[in-house]
Amino acid sequence: MLTIIQNTFREALAKKIFIGYYIFYAIVILIMIFLVNMDSVEGVMSLADSKMLVHQVETGFLTISWNLIIFFSLISTASFIPSMLEKGTIDLLISKPISRPMILISKYLGAVLFVFLSMVFLMGSIWLILSLKSGYWDPTFLLSILWLTLAFAVMYSIVVIIGLTTQSTVVAILVNFFLIFVLCPLLSVREAVIFSLVTNETVKFVFDFLYYLFPKPGEFRDITTSLINGEQINMWKSSVNAETSTFTISWLSPISSVLFLLVTMAYSVYYFAKKDY
Amino acid sequence: MHVIETQNLYKEYTQKFSKQKVNALNDFTFNVEQGEIFGLLGPNGAGKTTLIKILLAITFPTNGSAKLFGTDVKNHKAKTKVGYLPENHKFPSYLTGEQVLKYYGQLSGMSAGTDMNKRIDEMLGMMNLTQWRNTKIKKYSKGMMQKLGLAQSMLSDPDLIFLDEPTDGVDPIGRKEIRDILAQIKSRGKTIFLNSHLLSEVEMICDRVAILNKGDLIKEGNVDDLTKAENIFAIHTVDTLTMDVKQKVLAIDGNAGIGEKEINTEAGIDKLNGIIDSLRSNGVKIQTVNQKTSTLEELFINVIKKDNTN
Repeated sequence: MLTIIQNTFREALAKKIFIGYYIFYAIVILIMIFLVNMDSVEGVMSLADSKMLVHQVETGFLTISWNLIIFFSLISTASFIPSMLEKGTIDLLISKPISRPMILISKYLGAVLFVFLSMVFLMGSIWLILSLKSGYWDPTFLLSILWLTLAFAVMYSIVVIIGLTTQSTVVAILVNFFLIFVLCPLLSVREAVIFSLVTNETVKFVFDFLYYLFPKPGEFRDITTSLINGEQINMWKSSVNAETSTFTISWLSPISSVLFLLVTMAYSVYYFAKKDY
Repeated sequence: MHVIETQNLYKEYTQKFSKQKVNALNDFTFNVEQGEIFGLLGPNGAGKTTLIKILLAITFPTNGSAKLFGTDVKNHKAKTKVGYLPENHKFPSYLTGEQVLKYYGQLSGMSAGTDMNKRIDEMLGMMNLTQWRNTKIKKYSKGMMQKLGLAQSMLSDPDLIFLDEPTDGVDPIGRKEIRDILAQIKSRGKTIFLNSHLLSEVEMICDRVAILNKGDLIKEGNVDDLTKAENIFAIHTVDTLTMDVKQKVLAIDGNAGIGEKEINTEAGIDKLNGIIDSLRSNGVKIQTVNQKTSTLEELFINVIKKDNTN
């Protein structure tokens, strides 16, 4: 397993897209270094003020960049599965005394681990910059490393299944683009937007069904920012307080997304184990 | 225990668009014993690669069973003592020759360390690739890639090696080197399963061959036995044949080819003995009597033609 994971890392580092991926991160880090100015914090703001400001910057940064980071991570790793399935490569891999499920899971974990380390680099750098600039060391921001990796892991299971069935990197990227930037955000606001326009109960049911069926990478961000800001998180159902207009996220989003990941990966492993190459 | 054992293997493919069923293997049963170099022959689409893929569980049979060293090929542990060089293999282009061997060595169950490094040195030396060990393989020529592939298949010192067109893209000198390496492997009691289009090469290397056509096993046997042409004999004499003797020979076999000191007959054993008796009774000294042999290529073409006509 470790051999395949190690080789997945090598593959990632050898790809030109990897350079683009890290240039993107370097730009983000540079922006944080030069644009976020918290020098006034020293001696002027109270700890409570600086804490609030740091949380605001962290929340703002995550809101803007969350989906982009996940999408870039998917682009940089989407070719792993189709390239593994190329004729002459897959034959050799399967001919080795390793089970097929182990091959696929190792490849998947290699990609997830690669993104995890990239997140450690990116979010760790941003955390360091904010902490040094503000003097307030907020460890909860580092949770974003885990939540971003988990969100990526969920979306990457879609790349795996599409890669296995179509052997196409482009299709996998396009489907993920549609899910991350169109369908999932739309389903997240179905109650506030769609249900105000639609009265038909069947249509509402279909939207609800799709919402619970598909992963919700954007809502992982809401969970992360809620944790950073110390906000309450409901167990099963998100809610909106009519008086304060505040939205409270629930744990249901990550739970249903992780279930989606498990089912998708289980089917991928089954498909890969049965397929003729 | 056989090294390779198959029982009534069937493989049926369904074509993508027409949904038509195609039989790639029909009721295929055969065994390969330890220490043999076994050659698999057949025209394109005969089912050769399908058979190798089934034996390595890359493809699954529609029916029947296959075993390696007595273990069902569906169990990935059956491949522990197996090496494989696929046709048109593709190694990760970002690796160097040495890294390729390390990667596939570890996948074969070798542990990274001195022993594996020693074995890599040995393999690279055997293939004359030592000076290229730290070069990225995207810079390798086709022949070098093929040699690296062969090194990869032999790295873990497997007891059985599957080679699919191992000399493809290799120059004649390289081919000779590969043949010598295979002979060396064989001398160590290893089994080689060879799939090659180069029949002259198969004839030189293999002990036993099987010929496949349209998924059917149409001929199998030792190379020497198969290439012996049935009922074709050549008699060489010490004395020059007189006209009288020639006429007596023609009286026995009217179709015999007669030269100054040579008689060729395809009339069977009885007439061959009749001719020999006639020569002796006329005082002609016989130097040799040989059963004629055909090349594997001639045999292959004849067998395939016959099968296609049937």
